[in-house]
Amino acid sequence: MSSSLVLHSTLPRALTRRVVQRSSIQSRYNTTFNYVPGGPILRGTVNDPTTFPKPSPIHGSYHWAFERLLSAGLVPLTAAAFVTSGSNYPIVDGLLGVSLVMHSHLGFDSIVVDYLHPRKFPILGPITTWTLRVATVATLVGVYQFNTNDIGLTELIAKAWTA
Amino acid sequence: MQSVISAARSSTKRSFSTSARRWQAVPQQKPVLIKEFKIYRWNPDEPEKKPELQSYKIDLNQTGPMVLDALIKIKNEMDPTLTFRRSCREGICGSCAMNIDGQNTLACLCRIDRNESKNTKIYPLPHMYIVKDLVPDMTQFYKQYKSIQPWLQNDNPPEKGEFLQSPEDRKKLDGMYECILCACCSTSCPSYWWNQDEYLGPATLMQAYRWIADSRDSHGAERKERLQNEMSLYRCHTIFNCSRTCPKGLNPAAAIAKIKLELAAD
Repeated sequence: MSSSLVLHSTLPRALTRRVVQRSSIQSRYNTTFNYVPGGPILRGTVNDPTTFPKPSPIHGSYHWAFERLLSAGLVPLTAAAFVTSGSNYPIVDGLLGVSLVMHSHLGFDSIVVDYLHPRKFPILGPITTWTLRVATVATLVGVYQFNTNDIGLTELIAKAWTA
Repeated sequence: MQSVISAARSSTKRSFSTSARRWQAVPQQKPVLIKEFKIYRWNPDEPEKKPELQSYKIDLNQTGPMVLDALIKIKNEMDPTLTFRRSCREGICGSCAMNIDGQNTLACLCRIDRNESKNTKIYPLPHMYIVKDLVPDMTQFYKQYKSIQPWLQNDNPPEKGEFLQSPEDRKKLDGMYECILCACCSTSCPSYWWNQDEYLGPATLMQAYRWIADSRDSHGAERKERLQNEMSLYRCHTIFNCSRTCPKGLNPAAAIAKIKLELAAD
């Protein structure tokens, strides 16, 4: 018990220090940086400022703006789906299906980035990301099939509501 | 009088209360009001011993009004090994930030709850590496603050004299420059708990915006571009713990929202 605790407090420190020295010349997200759970997360010396990832608006402001506009757009879209019926307005039905799936994809993706980021979970992180992507595509295909060959989303919810 | 002073000097205890005060009027006796404080203790010299809550009972009527007064009383009179940071005792240095009864705040600005039937629990700032007892390791927090380059940057200084600023532009900095970097907000943010190594946290982001919003600073574009990634800024999910807990009554969440809006409008 005690020896494992001592290891826990000293070994990661020594490890990360060595890794940091090596990685200061190399790129930021290289594989030599070893995230130690429960260990220190400092890169460089205590006087070095933390570094930033490469700027990319696709992951930054575009992503955020798209997410917010999509969320705001879902409000009138849901209201529209209430007053119309899916068979008469297939465009509204299809749009609702696509935006709902994208909205939930962005939400789940946010969870994955928060809790299962690849820098902390090098195996589980990518697996989850790709599982989510496959699930989203499968759902989109399913919604498309359901909307073209069956009654469609809006009418399904209306039916389930009155059932 | 002389003999009293020499008697006080010769006694081994150095004490202010026994010498001159004996000749003054007797203070009004107050009833004893015992309150229990449960304080997080962890000693790095005994790493195999788990952290624990240690209980201290003190008389509130012999203590100052704030939690910091109680801590100092405990350290002075009961347990000198109790470790905590403090300096100004008036909420301007930010040293005594800790978690008191579940809320991150400054011990010097937090009144003691005088309900004697309930104990007061004091923990260090949540989800930080602990140096000892109530002292968290703030290295990462300061490294992050340094990364946003918190100083005025302008390549075209005025020909003579100082930078001039309109009262409206100056007003934009109100509510941001008052931040004392006590880290109460950052350490109350769940996003900061999980992604402390990448997400800057509310305190640092508000200071980032303090320089973006400054009309005298001309490096706003670079400052904003650095935040254009998944982790540094956009791990904020508008939880608002930061604004709720700020002991100075500032609003980091509003500053973060303004950065997001400016980035989206670019």
